Amino acid sequence: MGAPTVAEPLLVVDGISAGYLDQDVVHQVGLTMDAGDAVAVIGSNGAGKTTLFRAVCGMLAASRGGVHFGGVDITGWRAHRIARAGVAYVPAERHLFPEMSVRDNLSLGAYPRRPDATRMALVFDLFPRLGERARQHAGTMSGGEQQMLAVGRALMSKPRLLMLDEPSTGLAPKLAAEAYAALAELRRQGLTILVAEQQVPMALGLADRAYVLENGRVELEGTSTELAQNPDVRRAYLGVA
Amino acid sequence: MKAAILDGIVLGLQYGLLGVGLTLVFGLAGVLNLAHGQLAVLAAIIAALTIDAGAAVGLAALVGILCAAGANLFLDRTLMQPVYRLRGESRVLLGLLLMLGVAFVIDGFLEWRYPIEALSLRIGGDPIPILGVNMRVGSLLASAIAVAAGAALLVFFRGTTTGRAVRSVIQDEDGARLCGINPAFVRALVFALSGALAGLVAITRSMTSPVTVTEGITLTTLALIVAVVGGLGSVSGAFLAGILLGIVDRVSSFYIGTYITTIMLLAAAAITIVVRPSGLLGARR
Repeated sequence: MGAPTVAEPLLVVDGISAGYLDQDVVHQVGLTMDAGDAVAVIGSNGAGKTTLFRAVCGMLAASRGGVHFGGVDITGWRAHRIARAGVAYVPAERHLFPEMSVRDNLSLGAYPRRPDATRMALVFDLFPRLGERARQHAGTMSGGEQQMLAVGRALMSKPRLLMLDEPSTGLAPKLAAEAYAALAELRRQGLTILVAEQQVPMALGLADRAYVLENGRVELEGTSTELAQNPDVRRAYLGVA
Repeated sequence: MKAAILDGIVLGLQYGLLGVGLTLVFGLAGVLNLAHGQLAVLAAIIAALTIDAGAAVGLAALVGILCAAGANLFLDRTLMQPVYRLRGESRVLLGLLLMLGVAFVIDGFLEWRYPIEALSLRIGGDPIPILGVNMRVGSLLASAIAVAAGAALLVFFRGTTTGRAVRSVIQDEDGARLCGINPAFVRALVFALSGALAGLVAITRSMTSPVTVTEGITLTTLALIVAVVGGLGSVSGAFLAGILLGIVDRVSSFYIGTYITTIMLLAAAAITIVVRPSGLLGARR
């Protein structure tokens, strides 16, 4: 019974295939991350990033392969169960509750527990704007505020893994940079983050490692520094000839 | 006139209680429960039979309400399962047709087995004057129960975690799943709640007039009108619409004649659909 020498990975995606109407969009994708990691999945629009994320968090059934989270096989679990197990997913469309206040949206993030006041204070600390608008309906807020609320709601469950799909989507460059600054702060506090992004420079700035997804397959993987210097990546995603 | 309006409010509270059960199930599951009135009648007949068997009125009412809740929960877990696999228009259509079938089955069974059974709860006591109009105790008790039920629903939906979870599924089902909320559990809960509300309205209605086995279709139609006018999915909308329609019902019956009331109510629903498709307090989609 000695101390474990190698920590078990937090998330293992094992050769997963998934898609819609019997047509796979993602083909045998593998991905591993340890607790405390920040990992990016980069690729162009339609590369399969969203499909991969939806399959990992149970919003979509995988046609083959499996997912382990915290050492537990969560393959085939339904989304609400995976969420309760500690995976918080922030989809690009956000899926907020438009006719509920900011505070009620955040409270539901803690479901089935009662919302924790210190946790909510922490979210308001990270996004002061949400605190100012606690009583406003989510549906009446700007895109940037909705993105903050979606992240805030995900944080309310004290997740062990935060997954974000295109957090920069629909945001002006300045707001997108602010969103990434908030993610960097969460990372510094030790949160494990998996982000899908087509704004590659921002994603590589946040993550230690990244996977490049093309036509539903992992074409490349490596540290963010390696990938940022890779000529193919520079040509395809960083706008460098 | 004052008497007609007060009568209308009494009737309208019953309409609201009737509509709210239908509106919740539609808002949540996209199922238009055309057997809602039949569930109410089922509760009434079960309560009447329980009283015939010698049980106390309160206990019999509770048995009726629980049976309606159980029946609706059973429908959710069995007959409605194929419906939930569909989306959009085909979901609404299949749900509506299956529930129409259920309505025929309940109607047919009750008319065959218990053709002359009816629930009639006579509440004694001298009429109580309200604003100079003598109101029957039964009417006032039925209204008080409807108001209490409406208030309890509002507290549940605004003030409790489970109630907020129900609203979250109505507003964005995927968002709810991401928060760890199980939509199937919420649906089962709301079907049971809706069935219980149908049962409750049968009990309160029987305090002012007998609920007979043939009344299902009338109750379903009324529930549908109330839900459309109030806005499908809106609790306060159902009660507001119920009271307005109750007043329309009593005032038109007082000045024109009873024969006109159903036409007036249907016209109110038709006008609502044209002028304000989302209903009085419904969400605009």
